[in-house]
Amino acid sequence: MSFDEKFDVIVIGGGHAGCEAASAAARMGVQAALVTLNLDLIGQMSCNPAIGGIAKGHLVREIDALGGIMGRVIDRTGIQFRLLNRSRGPAVQSPRAQADRSLYRTEMRRALEATPNLHLRQGMVIDLIVKDKKIRGVELQDSRRLRSDAVIIATGTFLNGLIHTGKRTYTAGRAGEPASIELAQSLKGLGFNVGRLKTGTPPRLDGRTIDWDSFEPQLPDETPVPFSFSTDRIEQDQITCYIGYTNHAIHQAIRNNLHESPLYSGKIKGIGPRYCPSIEDKVVKFADKNRHQLFLEPEGHHTHEVYLNGFSTSLPSGLQQELVNMIPGLEEACIIRPGYAIEYDYIDPRELNPYLETAKIKGLFHAGQINGTTGYEEAGCQGLLAGINAALSVSGRSGFRLRREESYIGVLVDDLITQGVDEPYRIFTSRAEFRLALRHDNADERLENYGRSLGLIGDCDWERFNSKRDRISRLKYALENTRLKLSDAQFHSLSFLFGSSLTPITLSQLALRPNISSDFIFDLLPSNIRTEINLIELESALADLLYKGYIDSLRNNLHRVYQHDSLKIPSDFNFRSVSGLSHEMVERFERANPRTFGEARRIPGLTSASLSTLLVFLNSQQA
Amino acid sequence: MHSTDTIVALSTPPGRSGIGVIRLSGKGALDITRSLVRDEDFNPEPNHVTLKKIRDPENDEAIDQSLITYFKAPHSFTGEDVIELSCHGSPVLLRQIVDLILRLDARAADPGEFTLRALANGRMNLSQAEAVRDLINAQTHAAARQAVRQLGGELSSRLQPIKDSLLEIIVRLESSLEFVEDDLPSIETSHISSKISNIADYVMNLAATFRAGRLLREGIKVTLVGRPNVGKSSVFNGLLSSDRAIVTDIPGTTRDSLSELISLEGVPVLLTDTAGIRSSDDKVESLGVERTRRAMADADLVIVVLDSSEPFNAEDNEALDSVADNLHLIAHNKSDLLFFENNNISEIAHCARAIINVSAKTGAGLDALREAILEPFAISDIYDPGVLITNARHFDLLQRTHNELITSNEVLDEGRSEELILVGLHNALRFLGEITGETTTEDILSQIFSTFCIGK
Repeated sequence: MSFDEKFDVIVIGGGHAGCEAASAAARMGVQAALVTLNLDLIGQMSCNPAIGGIAKGHLVREIDALGGIMGRVIDRTGIQFRLLNRSRGPAVQSPRAQADRSLYRTEMRRALEATPNLHLRQGMVIDLIVKDKKIRGVELQDSRRLRSDAVIIATGTFLNGLIHTGKRTYTAGRAGEPASIELAQSLKGLGFNVGRLKTGTPPRLDGRTIDWDSFEPQLPDETPVPFSFSTDRIEQDQITCYIGYTNHAIHQAIRNNLHESPLYSGKIKGIGPRYCPSIEDKVVKFADKNRHQLFLEPEGHHTHEVYLNGFSTSLPSGLQQELVNMIPGLEEACIIRPGYAIEYDYIDPRELNPYLETAKIKGLFHAGQINGTTGYEEAGCQGLLAGINAALSVSGRSGFRLRREESYIGVLVDDLITQGVDEPYRIFTSRAEFRLALRHDNADERLENYGRSLGLIGDCDWERFNSKRDRISRLKYALENTRLKLSDAQFHSLSFLFGSSLTPITLSQLALRPNISSDFIFDLLPSNIRTEINLIELESALADLLYKGYIDSLRNNLHRVYQHDSLKIPSDFNFRSVSGLSHEMVERFERANPRTFGEARRIPGLTSASLSTLLVFLNSQQA
Repeated sequence: MHSTDTIVALSTPPGRSGIGVIRLSGKGALDITRSLVRDEDFNPEPNHVTLKKIRDPENDEAIDQSLITYFKAPHSFTGEDVIELSCHGSPVLLRQIVDLILRLDARAADPGEFTLRALANGRMNLSQAEAVRDLINAQTHAAARQAVRQLGGELSSRLQPIKDSLLEIIVRLESSLEFVEDDLPSIETSHISSKISNIADYVMNLAATFRAGRLLREGIKVTLVGRPNVGKSSVFNGLLSSDRAIVTDIPGTTRDSLSELISLEGVPVLLTDTAGIRSSDDKVESLGVERTRRAMADADLVIVVLDSSEPFNAEDNEALDSVADNLHLIAHNKSDLLFFENNNISEIAHCARAIINVSAKTGAGLDALREAILEPFAISDIYDPGVLITNARHFDLLQRTHNELITSNEVLDEGRSEELILVGLHNALRFLGEITGETTTEDILSQIFSTFCIGK
């Protein structure tokens, strides 16, 4: 078979997973091609023009600490930064930023084009070339053939995409773009277990037709917290968003027109995300709620387009216009792009290994929505991981994986490959057993080492990280060893906290008391420390102090459950050879094909007896 | 391999035997033993046997004399620090000691856990492991049968509403963390706090039924003692309402212990009549006396029978002294006859739980005696959870649940953020889940999405 071009790694799809994948592989020194339907739409935000949010923001900071690009791009293009959960503990705070949609795209393309070894190719992949259960390359619609030993599929909603508005349906990958039908066919032909999911998007409005005064403003943070550890400050002008509400009349109108909704008429078979319901779902499932919140989010500095967040719908376009005009403040508003629902194929992620490589075909990796996830951040981190592992694989190096207790990325991948999905998977902080340890502000401390050894962290970033680490360790020493003395003026001003027991107290003890602010501690630091650190670094050190006891006892508690998790199960392990396992349990094990005891432990529906039996068997084999 | 917690289990088969061995494994084994023998400097030489008194750390009461063997890590069965306590083989006593140890920061071992630790620490080879695996299977099958019984029975259904209301609190707090931008109802701290307290109270009350529950399952062991011819057998027969024991006026007729199972208000009571306590040259009788002492050691309750028509003598005093460490009550028999006026019963009966006047002959006072037998084991009338805890592991888990809930409430009262309050609540849910079945993150998320309208 002849090939037009040869690469080390080919990435199919130029969305958030594909961009990270191609960028990582190329920067690790292999020749990477990114093949996409339309080069002008690289890094397109198909839905909400925002990055981050609770737990999602953690993912972006982890991507950044590993040397990914999403954090840098949003820092350069974000137009409204907000740190969420400010009133709560540091572990559950998370940055979110709205992007200038068009700028984000431009900046992402610029970043890719500035990357050596990265080759952009426009075209539609229609077939995978596979020989002896190994990937050999891809074939494009225009008959070009590209040779490669590693291929990453990151096709988002394009696989067999089907758009619904009202009763009308048409095949598309996104509004206005063709679906990927042949590739979906090819994957089915290779024997992958394919399922169907659904997602939706709200209408976009013309900002000039909105009565802005009818809405409550939602202001950006005064001091934006960037996503990337390399960003010193946010340069983009920050904008205001607006909050409004639906009302009873709108709910009634929607209920009266449910027969027009493909969701409720049974046309849509795919399963949608419960945490991102359409407005139809909201008024049906929460009928007693008399209003639903809406956010008006301007899509950029140079456009009038406004994203109507909270009003995702697949009702007919004409009806959408009528409903929008019933919203107080939107009486005159014009819809620029109607909302729609889209159904697409995904492939059971339980067929992947922790490196996101398929078990069926060596060298074939899946990343992003094809694995049943939703969200740019979830896609981005999978793309990064797949890109890293594709590059490692073609260089003959062993794979890279992350553990649940060290990262949200580890949680996400582990959940996917052991539990599978039955609705689009989104990350939440509650999915992480160690969420108190997995803070957004310590992602660098957790992961930057890996990024460096993979070759994704440059000298400059590495030096910055090391000097920050040194600064924080000096700061921690100072917190432990600086005592407030009886003679200190500040000590007397604090006497109300201590009552009569006027014993000297260290700054770290003081910081652990409720209602002591970090600013207050900052002012009490020795001057040499105060001049070299900033408030964010102090807050990071204080968070370590706050959670230390909890994390230690959590580790002890969970240790019992997890202690055998790293025990390996050989790839050719025969579960039938374990005497004492019931037929049903053997089937469950075989279906899930766990590689470690930890993965086996999380297979749903297993009895504790079957796990004990497996554990003793594995232990005895390795003894 | 670091196993951080210390596990405990009875390692001899349950039931009566000459000696019972309690085994502890883990980092805390030696410290726990020090607390048990009330000697902080207790430093047993590894692999040597030491005789020590085991005392209740709460009231310093001696419970048993025990042979203590210390196996220092890694030279032990599990590869961890191991302590073996060889105690007297009374099931009551052994349970009491295991309960004590559970209160001292040890955890009831899971089925096969000692073996797993041994394997993990490389203290066992393949063929040994094969044999042990079968054992584990057998144990887990028994545990599974037990679980099925519990499932069909009361415990799970009693715990379910508790678990649901705990889940409800978790859902509220988790939602407020995860969906900060959504339009959720605000949380009232005092409301959450009182809900947690209620759950903690319920769990504690349930745990408190453990002793009663165990007695209910296994029966209350009641032993009658007293000097010869005070009418023990008549009282025994009176309680039985049949002529089971031989009653004559010749002292020492009951030469052996007789046991009979009776039911008092549905509670099984194993009633044991004993030979009188007195020194005797008669061989048969002195054998009986030895059995009496053993029956007393096993008893949950001892009834000392005194003769109200005769002056108290040294043998009465001896009988009372011998039960000083037991839970006991006094049956003041022969109340149909004239009281011997100079007897001052309260003078000699310092620590009897109750003194009941009975006449085995006329039947007077027997109902009062029956009530008095049950009274120490009754669950509080004010709070009856309607189900009894019979399994030591469940008891252990409920206590842990309770502690976690209390900790959470303290964190809440300090005004800390939700993620810290949730630590204890999740732990509590996990402990409850070990009884009723696990609640996964997915279950919690499902509950959130069905409770609140989430999502922009």
